[in-house]
Amino acid sequence: MTRRVSITRRAALLSFMLIACVITAFPILWMVATAFKSSDEALQTPPVWVPGHPTTDAFSAVNDVIDIPRSFINSLLIAGLTTTGILLTSLLAGYVFAKYRFRGKNALFAVLIGTMFLPPIVTLIPLFRIVTQLGWDASLVGVIVPNLANAFGIFLMRQFIAGVPDELIEAARLDGASELRIVFRIVAPNVLPALAALAMFAFVYHWNSYLWPLTVLQGNEQASPIVISLARLLTYTGSAANTPQVMAGATLAVLPPLILFVILQRFFVNTMSRAGMTG
Amino acid sequence: MRTARQNWWAAGLLAPSVGLIGVFVLIPIVLTLWLSLHRWSTATPFGDAEWVGLRNFDALFSSALVGRDFRQALRNTFVYAGLSIALLIPLSILFGVIVHRAAVRGTTFLRTVLFATYCVPMIAVAIVWSKLYSPTEGPVNQALGWFGIGPQPWLSDTGTALISLVFLNVWQQLGYFTVLVVAGLTQIPPSVYEAAALDGARNVKLLFKITLPLLRRTLLFCVVIALINAIQVFEPVATITQGGPVGSTNVLTYHIRQVGIERSQGGLASAMAVTLLLALMAVVTLVFALMRKGDDR
Repeated sequence: MTRRVSITRRAALLSFMLIACVITAFPILWMVATAFKSSDEALQTPPVWVPGHPTTDAFSAVNDVIDIPRSFINSLLIAGLTTTGILLTSLLAGYVFAKYRFRGKNALFAVLIGTMFLPPIVTLIPLFRIVTQLGWDASLVGVIVPNLANAFGIFLMRQFIAGVPDELIEAARLDGASELRIVFRIVAPNVLPALAALAMFAFVYHWNSYLWPLTVLQGNEQASPIVISLARLLTYTGSAANTPQVMAGATLAVLPPLILFVILQRFFVNTMSRAGMTG
Repeated sequence: MRTARQNWWAAGLLAPSVGLIGVFVLIPIVLTLWLSLHRWSTATPFGDAEWVGLRNFDALFSSALVGRDFRQALRNTFVYAGLSIALLIPLSILFGVIVHRAAVRGTTFLRTVLFATYCVPMIAVAIVWSKLYSPTEGPVNQALGWFGIGPQPWLSDTGTALISLVFLNVWQQLGYFTVLVVAGLTQIPPSVYEAAALDGARNVKLLFKITLPLLRRTLLFCVVIALINAIQVFEPVATITQGGPVGSTNVLTYHIRQVGIERSQGGLASAMAVTLLLALMAVVTLVFALMRKGDDR
């Protein structure tokens, strides 16, 4: 929608947006700037805003304290496998809830959707015990398996699959295609933007998730994802002189979800907007 | 497709998600309710739980230390949630209206920057902000000094620690709620505004008489989501404040995990979780009731 806006109002709006951008981006920019500072610069009062002599010393020092490559592989395994699982289970269940009719469907859907609004702490303790009884404590299996399906994914997929024309599905059935074939060959290609958005949402969420891996992986540092290694980095490097190291670690941890967001943000924002409203 | 065959397919396609959510979400909910009535150590099998009736709940509402700590955490959690909502909703309306109007270039960029913070791991946010808040070499106090405002203690004082965590939460979530508000705004037909403009309504009046009432469903959704997100605050408390100083940032997700996992008092922690769930349901019901009352007027 384009409207005529007076010069002064346009200038006011622009400066407001500029200030908002600067304030919002500041913590991230400061994190990156500090990662390139020397210990001396990090200790100065008043603070050094832009490093005078940028150095990558902090980045090499991080790896002496925590195992960065290992942490990244663990995070990739957790976020990657969980996302794959969520995409599959959500696609199948979303298809059933969008296109099938059977008794009790709405009640089942309501129960599943109800779990979307459940704060994880409510189930954390028995869930931890279940995972321990299954012998999955202190392992990545225990971090990944309980999260392979979730209500948000099912809800999102149902919303978008409902928009796929029934005629397409019926035609495929008449051709003798199996239901699985229909899901992957007809339905999935028609909801690609929503799948991309769900993939991004799940990956970022599980890359960042902290409470559950912290609880499951107690006593197994080898399996730590980057977010937990980062917390350990903070404890091991308490003094302010080590701030550049901590910021270097944080910068590395932030990169994958941020890059993914920049690539897929178009799908993400559109899908979130469309799905959020029907909730 | 014949019904019998269709039912088999439905069951097969639903089995993975229903099975996983059943075992790892629904059964744990039932177990939390059951365990809240038992004395049970998290380090032992469920079978070792010993029935104690409502004694865990008695302890939570007694004057013993267990009860006082829990009630402080409950209070802190809802104060944190309330303050977060009070800041997030008006700000997201403000930014949403600006981004939606798109009368000048750069709104998409603003939206991207706002939303990017949502993708930053909370642990990194907590670490960065703990340094920003640093009373001596931190840039926040430095910047305040430019406006003649004296240095603040932020995370190191009982009076300011919790609100400091609220700011950090608002910073991270504002973009997400702005996107939701923009989505709500796009559903308001432009003709509504044109009619109101013909009647001579001006900007501020338009906002309060037209935009906000039509946005009510969106805002209700935002309030509920913001509340549930706020209850999950954990990383900054676990890594930066450890609930302190003097319990002023002790919130429920942190406290329940301390009691139930670190101290293995699974029964007691489950009673806390049940109380949280009931309190949450009460607040959500209240929010809906208030909204409905607004509808009738």
